[in-house]
Amino acid sequence: MTKPIDVAVETNHDPLEPPESYFVPATDVYETADELTLVAEMPGIKADGLAVTVEDNVLVIRGKPGAKSEAGGEVLLKEFTAGEFYRAFQLPADYDTEKMEAGLRQGVLTLRLPRSERLKPRRIEVKVE
Amino acid sequence: MAMKAWVPAAGPFAQLQREMNRVFDSVFGRHFQPVGRIRAGYVYPPTNVRETDDAYTVQCEVPGLEMADLEVYVTGDQLTVSGSRTSTVPEEEVTLHRRERDAGRFSRAVTLPAPVDSSGTEATLADGILTVRIPKTEEAKPKRVEVHVGD
Repeated sequence: MTKPIDVAVETNHDPLEPPESYFVPATDVYETADELTLVAEMPGIKADGLAVTVEDNVLVIRGKPGAKSEAGGEVLLKEFTAGEFYRAFQLPADYDTEKMEAGLRQGVLTLRLPRSERLKPRRIEVKVE
Repeated sequence: MAMKAWVPAAGPFAQLQREMNRVFDSVFGRHFQPVGRIRAGYVYPPTNVRETDDAYTVQCEVPGLEMADLEVYVTGDQLTVSGSRTSTVPEEEVTLHRRERDAGRFSRAVTLPAPVDSSGTEATLADGILTVRIPKTEEAKPKRVEVHVGD
């Protein structure tokens, strides 16, 4: 049902083009007054297999598992497979992608994008003459 | 039995799916494909079990959990993995656009087919995957029987 990914072969995909086969990471997306946060589950992915790109406000998350990500031996039960993760998001225009911060911990990628300075609500001081 | 929605490589459906993917997910909008794990028959955590001559290796996908969130027990021939997933989404002053990650307590037991040595069990957690290696008892390990050819 699933096919293994040959990670030794480097693909020359356009970063915006999805790979041939992939999993879609479950993702939480939420906004606070200051920032937009995306939290994506990518179990089995290490930092060196992860690529996060933004082009024309399209955020693309890709993760490739390492070559030796599954244990050896005879399979008795198999409910998950190591495979590539891919997902693309159209970002709203009011976040500063240049200042995006990315963190990966225990297979969970967290991306934080601060709201653009010019779009933050700003209180205008009224001077009494 | 893949527990995650796998997007296959070939076939007309995959072609359609790729076309749909060109309509990017908007962070605020709808998505066109299943995410994470398939909900029907959903068991958490997705688990793989492998057997070698010496041991069983049980692997569970538990992204985001730390060792302190997990309890791993071996009782008799049964391995139990339990714990709690907490949401990272703040509860107040937040606009939630997507909540696809689950939260809550879970417990899963796996019965192993041969007697195991619970004292030799080792558990490691890396990149959101829990790996538990449970050695078989000496009696359960395969023994090569020398066959002597009779005169």
